[in-house]
Amino acid sequence: MKIKHLVWLRRCSQAFFLLLFVFFVVESRLPQDVYLDYTQLVNGEQEIRLQQPVTIFFQADPLVWLTSLISGHVLIKGFGWALAVLVLTLVFGRVFCGFICPFGALHHLFSYVRPALKGKNLARANSSTGSRRVKYFILILLLTAAFAGVNSAGIMDPISLFFRSLALAVLPGAGIGLKEMFDFMAHSDIKALNYLSYTAEVLVSPVFGYDYQAFKTGWLIGTIFLLILFMNRVRPRFWCRTLCPLGALLGLCSRFSILGLSKDIDRCTQCGKCTQSCAGAAQPVPGEAWQKSECLMCFNCHNTCPEGAVAFKWRGPKGQAGPDMGRRAVLGGLTAGVSLPFLSRLDGQIHKVSDAQLIRPPGSLPEKAFLTLCQRCGQCMKACPTNVINPALSEAGLAGFWTPNLIMTQGYCEYTCTLCGSVCPTGAIKTITIREKVETPVSIGSAYFDRGRCLPWSGNGPCIVCEEHCPTSPKAIYFFEDMVKGPDNTRVKVKLPQVDLKRCVGCGICENKCVVKGRPAIRVIAAGETRSMRNRILL
Amino acid sequence: MKSEQLITRRESIKKLLLLWSSLSLGGASLISLPSIEPANASANASRFLVDGVGRTQGYSVKALTRKTFDAAGGMGKFVSRGDVVAIKPNISWARAPQLAANTNPEVLEAVIQLCQEAGAKKVRIVDHTIHGAKRCFAINGAGMAAKNTGADLVHPRSSLMRDMKMGGNRLDVWPVYTPVVEADTLINLPVAKVHGLSGLTLGMKNWIGAVGGRRNALHQDIHQTIVDLAHFFKPDVTLIDATRMMVRNGPSGGSLSDVAMMDRLILSNDPVAADARAARLFDLEPESVGFIQIGHQQGLGLYDTAISRHLEVAV
Repeated sequence: MKIKHLVWLRRCSQAFFLLLFVFFVVESRLPQDVYLDYTQLVNGEQEIRLQQPVTIFFQADPLVWLTSLISGHVLIKGFGWALAVLVLTLVFGRVFCGFICPFGALHHLFSYVRPALKGKNLARANSSTGSRRVKYFILILLLTAAFAGVNSAGIMDPISLFFRSLALAVLPGAGIGLKEMFDFMAHSDIKALNYLSYTAEVLVSPVFGYDYQAFKTGWLIGTIFLLILFMNRVRPRFWCRTLCPLGALLGLCSRFSILGLSKDIDRCTQCGKCTQSCAGAAQPVPGEAWQKSECLMCFNCHNTCPEGAVAFKWRGPKGQAGPDMGRRAVLGGLTAGVSLPFLSRLDGQIHKVSDAQLIRPPGSLPEKAFLTLCQRCGQCMKACPTNVINPALSEAGLAGFWTPNLIMTQGYCEYTCTLCGSVCPTGAIKTITIREKVETPVSIGSAYFDRGRCLPWSGNGPCIVCEEHCPTSPKAIYFFEDMVKGPDNTRVKVKLPQVDLKRCVGCGICENKCVVKGRPAIRVIAAGETRSMRNRILL
Repeated sequence: MKSEQLITRRESIKKLLLLWSSLSLGGASLISLPSIEPANASANASRFLVDGVGRTQGYSVKALTRKTFDAAGGMGKFVSRGDVVAIKPNISWARAPQLAANTNPEVLEAVIQLCQEAGAKKVRIVDHTIHGAKRCFAINGAGMAAKNTGADLVHPRSSLMRDMKMGGNRLDVWPVYTPVVEADTLINLPVAKVHGLSGLTLGMKNWIGAVGGRRNALHQDIHQTIVDLAHFFKPDVTLIDATRMMVRNGPSGGSLSDVAMMDRLILSNDPVAADARAARLFDLEPESVGFIQIGHQQGLGLYDTAISRHLEVAV
């Protein structure tokens, strides 16, 4: 194969995996046309699962595999893909970064399609600097912390970060914009606009659905994403060179790869084209040591060199630079990695207190085990049909930043839905069946009344919307009739609702549908969740 | 003029192309698009009430539905050739059909087929659901019914809500789910259930699923607001599904022990009479159910006993 073709193969491969990734992000939701055959529904309920293997990129991510293993002592489902990537790296170097990684592909796109820099400036931006050590620092930090029981890899893992950014910021952002446009068009007096809006809304519904998702701290996720993308205009593939812990991990593995860059200094005219085209800032120019662990295997230098002075060869020449981690990055990473679990325990979240608002999805592991596995990828949040699962800000403490957290004013947990667990790539949320969820029952918290706000309790009139929606049978919210004092010394006959804690599963539909908005008159707190022995209420 | 605002994805592309081509040909001012008109046919002067009873073991629900409509003169009485028909079932809960929280999908399917046989141009299934629509339609059989018959299953969304003048006792202006009113024929197809606050949920209460906005506030004066809504949405005919009936833990249910097999359908063009008749299935006098009594008082309809054409059919 000619090198020109190899470069085109790389571009096609990058485009393919980027599109595949976006497709899986979009597909991480309840399909619109899954209709269970009602004549078959004789006993119990059928599980609804996604049709696409939406977690396959996480399964192919060696960092997810490794951190789950050393932190949660769990071999995640489909980890063979990750091992395959490692083997690939041992043979060919960081081809994952150059050919497969969808996040890398996006950076490549932003860096090299109409690059911001040209000529000497581009060569300078592509020169090797000490900043590359930062990613080793991050990798060592994450691995050390994971070993000590706090798995924060997902914050920096490129697959998780990309998924989270697309699912919780980019798509919802586009969705909100479309919704406002459709609402505007639908309510305009111009008939043609009404028509267009109805049509267009149906057309985009497979992607955005009809109820638009919104996420707490989505703005932060989006801003970080934009910043990382922008950095490509300053230094091409900035993320991959400087920050990516997966790149660092693969860089370490690549030192044994048998594909090497051979340089012919006699032919080199020092034109600088190889450096200008180098995606990894790996010093391809003859006369300098090629940084094997930095090379993203884009094959640009080989392709672009007019003199044929640089070329990839099997069993490349000796004397190539090993991974340059730097002592400070290693020691700093170790120190920070050891500190993180301690720091994150300082708030007492695991051993002493529990945040009332830390409501985890049904099937979640106990908090300590949960934090060893959760990748904060946002897969459960994207898949949740009611949008109740949101990235946590401070509810779960430092170690639980962006882990899934249920906000009942956003949505509620559907009584017979078990989708979140089925899409969790690491099993931090177990896959449970409807039968398990309903019959155990799996409780995620419990509801309590704020009688001062509740319409019947405060004498403001009849309501019991909460009782109407309560999904358990018999209902966990019951009522009794009584006279209460109303305004102007009246006495009002109302139905007064109460919670039966034995039956309440904390689904939160009562809070979600309560007529008092913002801070509803019935609210769900984590107390009573089945996953925690310490957090239970009843004897 | 017929309203055709809601279309499926397949049609969308065709229509979009058509629209753009006509825009480029004739200019925006020249195209005439269908206008939206609430098309509630005036109430039929001759009121009737039909009881459909499934007597035999393993009777066909579809056959019962057909026979019930036949007794009233056939679906052709309500649906004319070329009509756009809106069917308002209660498909608000993501519950399996056997739990009786939703209209029986077999009844729904049968009614759609009857409409199609009567020459309906388009049949739309419209309900502003309580649980997420996708899961509702997937689980409660409405999606399958639509798929089997080719009817349009409309997904509720904010762009389909429009403030409308109700002029009721309690409700003045309220957001209405427009596909319910943008039709030539409107068929109310509720399921009979008990309800914590209103006692029962039958035909008139089904209209809470036809509005948007702060629906949960309607509970504060539930009986009057139900009657206000029933005054606004005047269906051409109401078919109450009591094949399975939720007798406790309503309106959500969740257990087979909440369900009683009643094998009954109640068809009437009088919304009060239909509800009154259904109330008796729960061993309740219609006068004791707030919204039925108020509906009667405020001239919405008559009690079932006052209907002279009271028929019974059985399969």
